[in-house]
Parts: sequence; C-alpha cells; structure tokens
Amino acid sequence: MTTFERLQALLGKDFDLPLEKLERDARLEDLEIDSLRMIEIMFSVEDAFKITIPAEQAELKARLTTFGDLVDYIDGLVAGKPGAP
Amino acid sequence: MRRVAVSGIGVISPLGNDESSFLESLALGRSGIGRLDGRFPERMTCRIGGAVAFDGAALFPNAKLRMLDRVSQFALAASMQCVANAALDFAAIDRSRAGVFLGTGLGGAHATDDGYFTLYAENSDRVKPFTVLMAMANAPASWIGIEYGLTGPNLTFSTACSSSTVAIGEAARRIATGEADVMIAGGAEAPLNFGTMKAWDALKTLATEDKDDPAASCKPFSKNRSGLVLGEGAAVVVLEEWEHMRRRGGRARGELVGYGLTTDAAHITRPTIEGQASAMVKALESAGIEANGIDYINAHGTATAANDAVETAAIKSVFGERAYRIPVSSTKSMHGHLLGAAGALELIATLLALEKEMLPPTINLRSPDPECDLDYVPLKARAAHGIRTALSSSFAFGGTNAVLVARAAR
Repeated sequence: MTTFERLQALLGKDFDLPLEKLERDARLEDLEIDSLRMIEIMFSVEDAFKITIPAEQAELKARLTTFGDLVDYIDGLVAGKPGAP
Repeated sequence: MRRVAVSGIGVISPLGNDESSFLESLALGRSGIGRLDGRFPERMTCRIGGAVAFDGAALFPNAKLRMLDRVSQFALAASMQCVANAALDFAAIDRSRAGVFLGTGLGGAHATDDGYFTLYAENSDRVKPFTVLMAMANAPASWIGIEYGLTGPNLTFSTACSSSTVAIGEAARRIATGEADVMIAGGAEAPLNFGTMKAWDALKTLATEDKDDPAASCKPFSKNRSGLVLGEGAAVVVLEEWEHMRRRGGRARGELVGYGLTTDAAHITRPTIEGQASAMVKALESAGIEANGIDYINAHGTATAANDAVETAAIKSVFGERAYRIPVSSTKSMHGHLLGAAGALELIATLLALEKEMLPPTINLRSPDPECDLDYVPLKARAAHGIRTALSSSFAFGGTNAVLVARAAR
C-alpha cells in the first residue's frame, strides 16, 4: 500500500473523512482539518507509520495546504527514518 | 419572580438509558448495581458499581467520539433526550437567552486515568493530544452548548455530591429572575475507572460487596449499611420560563418552586444536622410553603454511616412530628451514588414520582438502623395518589447542602 492509500484509509476510518474526497489536490481546510484536528491526525500518523513528526503547528500549517502535501511530508519522514531504504 | 417549568427530561443511568426504563426500574425496585469490569480487577478491593450500558459509537461519529470523555458522552446523550422530550426547536427561540448549567464532581476522569496509565503504567510519553480537552471539568457543559448553539451563560458547578442540584437550582434562579428563558441543566459523572475507584476506596467510604447478592450492596438507612456504591451517568433537564413554554406549545413535566443552598463550614466530610436542615428550611422558604406542604422527600441517603443518621435527624428537626408521616426514600439503593450527577438524577426520580403518583422505594432495607426511624418506603414502590410537592436533597463533601422543591404539573 502506498502512503497515499494508507493515509486515506486512516483518515477514513478514524476521522470519518469520505475517501472520494481525499484527492491529492483536496485542500485540508475544505476537508475541515483545522489545527486541532491536525494535531490528532499527526498523533495517529506517528502511531501508524512508526515515525516522529518534528514540526511545530505553525510550520505544519505553512507547509501543508493539500492532502497531497501531507502525503509527501509523511513520505519524506518515512524515507528519512533510520533503516529506511 | 417568574415560574420555572421542567419541560424536558433526559436520563443515562445504571437503571436504563431513557426515561421509561428508568421509571420502570424505580417502580419495580430493580437494582442497577453489579460487578464491574475494568483494569486490574485483581487489585480492586471494591468491585461493585452502578455502570451504564452505553455505546458511544452508536451515537457519535468517530471523529467526534475521539474528543469526548465518557462523562461528556453521557452529558450529550442525556441532553439530546431532554431536548427531544421538550420538543424544543432552538432555531425558533432566542439562543442568547438560553444556556447550560451542569454539575460534575470529577469531569473527564477517564481521560485523566488513561493519561496517567500511558505515562506511569505503559512508561510511554504518548499522552493523547486531546487529554486536556477531554479531562477539563467544563467539557460536558461546553459540548452541550456547542451542540445547540446556546450563547447564554454556560457554567460548570463542582460541589462534589451536590453539584447537579446546585446547577439546577442556579439555572432555575436565572430563569426566575429573568436573565434567561431556557436552561439545559443537570449533571454528569463517570467515576468507574481504576484510579478514581481506588481513590474512593482509600477513603473507606465504599460499600462492602453483599456476598449473597452484589446488586443489593447499597443499603441506605439499614443497620448493616456499609457505605456508598459509586454509579455513573448523566441526568439533564430543560428548564423553561412557564409562559415561554406555554407559548410554544411545550408540556410541563413539573415545576421547580424552591431552592435552598447552605454550607456546613465545619468539616470536609462529616455532615451536620444544622447544615442539612437549614438547606431544607431555605428551600421551603423560597417555595413559600410550610413544612406540612411536603408530600415526599427524595433523600440524599448515601448509605454511609454518617449521612443517613444525620439526614434522618435533620428531617426531624425541620418537619417535627410530621417527619414520621412523610415518605422518604433513597433511590441510590438502586442506581448508586452518581456524585456530581446524583442530584439531577434524583430530581428526575422525584418529578416522575409526582407525575406518576408513585413513591420509589429504598430497596435492601430489611433491618432499619434504630437511629433511622422514618418511613423510608422500604423494599417496594408505593402508590401515592394526590401527591403534589416534594423535596430532593443533596449534601456534599466540602459541606455544600442543596435542596430543590418540585411540584407536580397537573
């Protein structure tokens, strides 16, 4: 499963987000992912992907606008994880 | 002063999660107390409680459920019931004149317990991000306000076991004085987790499990009473200015006519006869009725050694010889002690008693304490045709005594 698919499944299951709306160019604010929700999503992502998200809220907000940004950001962290290929 | 109607009732309790099953249990004298499941069962010295059979996932979407402590789930579920029961359309009223007053002793005790479990038992630093929002004591009231968009006052009262009686009394006062037209008021509590249970157990106030029948462990006014049994749940009512209710075609389930509030200022746990009696007297005064106008008392009746004897003496000091002719019952014998939700649940039991002309019993009362010599409606519910006015009392650790006077709507 790709990161895109895994994240789709996670957000669908735990946060009731409709899968068909979770497109790469879907804007996070249109998905009603506000800063509070993002904190919880990141917590779940850390558990699911076994990564640590170093960024503070402000940085995340500046970096992540779309669902695709979120996928790429997680991919980057997974790739940088010790033991990653 | 304006008249205050109770125009809706909502119940999540060990005796059922709707008004009709709650009423049925009261009428049948059925206990909601039993053995508890949970963490570290082998370390629980007291394993009985009044648990609620509740599935939050059936009521709330996942994303919301993850933000709600069990206490807030109870509060929201009970508020949805009472708003539906009141047939209240908040879109059609001035929501700036509507608010929420709720009582809770401990707030989100499960979130607190879970957080500590993660930290100390699992040795992990991964405390859930919403722990603060779930644990804060005002979360249940806030969620109700958000649910209905009520922009009037939203307050949480924490006076231990009298919290929700205070919340309802203060809310009624806001309506009576004209500051609000509609108030959602009541209490919620969810103390049946390992940490909270152990803390209560350490205080040596919890009942010993009845060996023959765990469901019969709470024995108010009995010679062999051994302490209180913790319960969980929420009880919430819609309070509404009488004419406001009438104009929109609402139906009164009862009327709140009096509220008395006093403080012992004597001891952090031990109750006083004077403190309890003064709250009853103030409640009668505010209702403008004489002592002989009371037809039923829903007692605080915790089944602790201290409370039941003191409460009996307090009732005698207020009502004199007539005390022996007023039926007094402790429904805690059936639902346990819901702490910050207890007073609200017992007010609802009182309203139902008035509406159905039925006195709920004090179950498990087979051998009365000689010091407790009133008519406690032992074992079985009793018909009481024509009863009109009743007291519901709550007396708390910390010494806050609160008493409500309710009148039948008919």
